[in-house]
Amino acid sequence: MIPSAFPRSVAIALLRFAIWIAPHDTLDWGHAMLSELNHVEGSWAALVWSIGGAGVLAKHAALAVILPGRPRRTVSSANELFAKEIPMRKTTLAVIASCVVASLLLFLAPVFRQAFHVSLAQWHDVFHAKQSFGYPSRDQELDALVKKAEQNRDAEALAFVAVRYPNEIQRERLANEAVQLDPNLTWLYAVAGTAYLSPSEIDRRVSVLKQWDPENALPHLFAAQKIGATVTYSKEFPLGKLEGSPAWEKEMDAAFQSQKLDNYLDRQKQLDHRVLSRYRLDDPFQAVSGEDWYGFPNYGVWECSLYAQSLLESGKSLESRGDRKAAFEKYWAVARFGQMMDDGDGFTFVMKKDMKEAYARLGALSQTEGNNGAAAFYAALADQFDKAADKQRLLFRNRFQGSDVSHWNAFLVRLSGLLMLFCAVLLLLCALGIVVRSRSLRLSSLHPSRLTLAFGFSAAIGALISSAVLFVSYWPYSELLQRFLSKGDDAQLFELSAFLRDTQLPFGSQFNLGPGSWYVASWSVVFYFWFAVTILCALALLIAVFRHFQTRPQTSAAAL
Amino acid sequence: MKTPRLSPQTLRVLERFVEHPRAWRYGYELSRETGLKSGTLYPILMRLAKFSLLETKWVTTEDGVPPRHTYRLTPNGVELVRATFAAARSTLKARRPAFSGGRA
Repeated sequence: MIPSAFPRSVAIALLRFAIWIAPHDTLDWGHAMLSELNHVEGSWAALVWSIGGAGVLAKHAALAVILPGRPRRTVSSANELFAKEIPMRKTTLAVIASCVVASLLLFLAPVFRQAFHVSLAQWHDVFHAKQSFGYPSRDQELDALVKKAEQNRDAEALAFVAVRYPNEIQRERLANEAVQLDPNLTWLYAVAGTAYLSPSEIDRRVSVLKQWDPENALPHLFAAQKIGATVTYSKEFPLGKLEGSPAWEKEMDAAFQSQKLDNYLDRQKQLDHRVLSRYRLDDPFQAVSGEDWYGFPNYGVWECSLYAQSLLESGKSLESRGDRKAAFEKYWAVARFGQMMDDGDGFTFVMKKDMKEAYARLGALSQTEGNNGAAAFYAALADQFDKAADKQRLLFRNRFQGSDVSHWNAFLVRLSGLLMLFCAVLLLLCALGIVVRSRSLRLSSLHPSRLTLAFGFSAAIGALISSAVLFVSYWPYSELLQRFLSKGDDAQLFELSAFLRDTQLPFGSQFNLGPGSWYVASWSVVFYFWFAVTILCALALLIAVFRHFQTRPQTSAAAL
Repeated sequence: MKTPRLSPQTLRVLERFVEHPRAWRYGYELSRETGLKSGTLYPILMRLAKFSLLETKWVTTEDGVPPRHTYRLTPNGVELVRATFAAARSTLKARRPAFSGGRA
């Protein structure tokens, strides 16, 4: 139960605060409302009285900020009783200065500088709208690295840039240059992918890859993908019908018969680690740039399922004709290729249905031939497959979408980065306002209004708190990065990658966390941001025009 | 002489003042008589004071109780209120026949 005196106490505190922030010319009125509070009957009525009065004073305080030079009058001689604009208090100034200095001192820590840099990533789309709709063509940091790498003839550094550079023509040139300097880096052609390459360049790269690593299925998947794209867009075949293309079937058959399936991501991470250490690069965005690439050709990997289905159909047909040995080979080819994918990066779920059927068919064939042990083994594999594939799918999703923790931390980093900037701007405006108003830089002659002081104080405290939150939220990710840079430990790098992916979204666009999630397209946020900026600028212009017309007659009168 | 905009609420406050033009009035008292909340009443009082239609004074009522702010109309204020109410009355008189049968 609320004590009866409580609302009155709140009312008094509220009005006192309103008086504290109120401008000079409303001081008497604030005290008038406060003194009347002693005569208001009833505690709740006193609170209502206080809210109304505080609202009036707050409105005047806000107007005083917008129109600081508006004509002011006081209506009584009681001002001396309630002196308002006092010389800036040393303790207040000391608290503000301490907060600002503490926030600035954090910038001495490299981790904090990195965290601040990451928090600024959300502004990229806001200020580079043109590039966000297309592809940025240059990256200054990578340009500098290319320059150094070409001077040193450092093939690894060129390879590092080749998979990251935003411009595809430059990327193609750098990849060729790196492989030319060091043929051991031929795997780079697979990691760099075939997007935006001409058909002849794709053929050349696939051919080089096949010669360099003849046992790997990957070059065949790239070749099949290229044929698939050509076939799908040609009029000779119905959309998506690839099975009739002998060239495509030949490449897929070669892939399924290959001894291994290596996407070279391990080699790439080792190279990244060496280059980052060699050139002392600590930009987290560059370190994890290849982390959201799973290492297989985008369409080629889905075509594996298509080919697996045709193999299963073919196996069933052979089985019905009594050729069990040939049928077994077809089923086995599907199961073996699925296992190779599983050994790579847990891609088995792409072929989940096909693999399960392959195991079931292998089990049934073994049973028919009286091999009960093998039949039981295949049946067990088929039974366990659902759970294993679901687990893999979950791992895969976590790897590319990130965990709830990384979403939360990215949210905090974006929010604290934004608050830091807001508080800094507010603090600067307050400082500027005080100096302009007092027309002096001497501490004793600075006479800030209490509202300005309240804003400045809040901004300084806000800057310190948001800096601390930014530092704490980013710290674990800086540890992950350091672990990769110093020891090459890439076990949790995907977590850093997911975190950095979230930090690049403009604040307010997305929040991926359970039922509280929301999604607004980035370009909408960018639009609303610039719309708000335009409205505020228009308002500022209107106020300036209003002020001009307000002061003009007085100036004319003074001139007369 | 510049005059403030006379809203119905302002007129209601002025009515209270004009009943006893020489008397000093308290804010809470005016609020109760006019039914206006502090958030409406005080901006009106501030505006009237700004246009020199209202004078204010701090008075000590009893020991231990903070001084109270009191208000009354200035001669200009009294003149304006009387003129305003006189104009309002004549407007009403001029309109009455139109409402009471159409004979102007």
